[in-house]
Amino acid sequence: MAISLQKGQKIDLTKGNAGLSELVVGLGWDPVEQAGGGFLSGLFGGKKAEFDCDASVLLLDANGKITNKDNIIFFRNLKSPCGSVVHLGDNRTGGGDGDDEQILIQLNKVPSDIHKIVFVVNIYDCQNRKQDFGMISNAFIRVVNKADMKEITRYNLTENYAGKTALIVGEVYRHQGEWKFGALGESTQDVSLSTLVGKYS
Amino acid sequence: MAVSLSKGQKVDLTKTNPGLKNIVIGLGWDTNKYDGGQDFDLDASVFILGTTGKVKDEKDFVFYNNPKGAQDAVVHTGDNRSGVGDGDDEQIKVDLARIPADVEKIAFTITIHDAEARKQNFGQVANAYVRVFNEEGGTELIRYDLGEDFSVETAIVVAELYRNGAEWKFNAIGSGFKGGLGALCANFGLSVA
Repeated sequence: MAISLQKGQKIDLTKGNAGLSELVVGLGWDPVEQAGGGFLSGLFGGKKAEFDCDASVLLLDANGKITNKDNIIFFRNLKSPCGSVVHLGDNRTGGGDGDDEQILIQLNKVPSDIHKIVFVVNIYDCQNRKQDFGMISNAFIRVVNKADMKEITRYNLTENYAGKTALIVGEVYRHQGEWKFGALGESTQDVSLSTLVGKYS
Repeated sequence: MAVSLSKGQKVDLTKTNPGLKNIVIGLGWDTNKYDGGQDFDLDASVFILGTTGKVKDEKDFVFYNNPKGAQDAVVHTGDNRSGVGDGDDEQIKVDLARIPADVEKIAFTITIHDAEARKQNFGQVANAYVRVFNEEGGTELIRYDLGEDFSVETAIVVAELYRNGAEWKFNAIGSGFKGGLGALCANFGLSVA
């Protein structure tokens, strides 16, 4: 049975679970149907812009900084230089049940200078498309043991993120020789991954 | 060399440091590690307690709007609104000899200002600690790092000073509460209108 976290909570991953070596981190979201829609708006409102959320991963050092831009794992850089973090690719619609995007992490291959693996989601082209996370529901992050595909923990983001265009969803981080997961649920008004990343540079 | 405590540990303060008169309780924390865009304001408050474990008088609740208590034996040196920088974020000075005889315990707490509206909790706070040092000379006597024990709480009773016969001891309490400063006030017998 997976443990469900609230914002701010943390959980041990490897402690007491020595065999855990590979994680699948799944992130998901659903676009909310906009009010005032329906047949007529379909006729007169023109084509609705697609809603493209992107999950990205930031590998941070002990000071919470990105020391190498290749340690930003996103749809154009799917694999970290060390090979320990692999993004399985972009999903452009957020449609369907289950994870929209997934990231694989081999914990024992993560270089020792990487202390935090932070999962963020932003909305592609949000300024032009006038989109924000108030138009998204059912956002979540979950951590799965790849060996048996069992879910270890899950965090459903329940806040209203209207006006926010980037989410810092969760982190896998080192603590006293072990790995832990923290449910962050922070939001910002960064309009692109590069402005968000700038805060960690 | 300061004594480093874990949650629940108690140590002698005056017995092991004879002649100790004026101490400073320093509290520190780091916030906003992922910059949620909201201000993050933590407040240190002090509850001066009688034998029942309750505050006798609202003047014995020392916080940013009432910086002195216990007949001025306890003085809060002021609010820090951002938690930025190294070292203590807020400090409380205690003149041990001047504490009235009917005071049994002094509890030191940290709460998050406006936590509910800002959707904040101690899960977003890192490196919180309390330390006690001798005002004269600045020698650190006791330190307690709160570590990773807190998440959804919005108030923490960090530590207390308490009388043990003629001496003062220090207890690393580390107990969390939901409901912020209001919950703490209720716990210590103050009604907040």
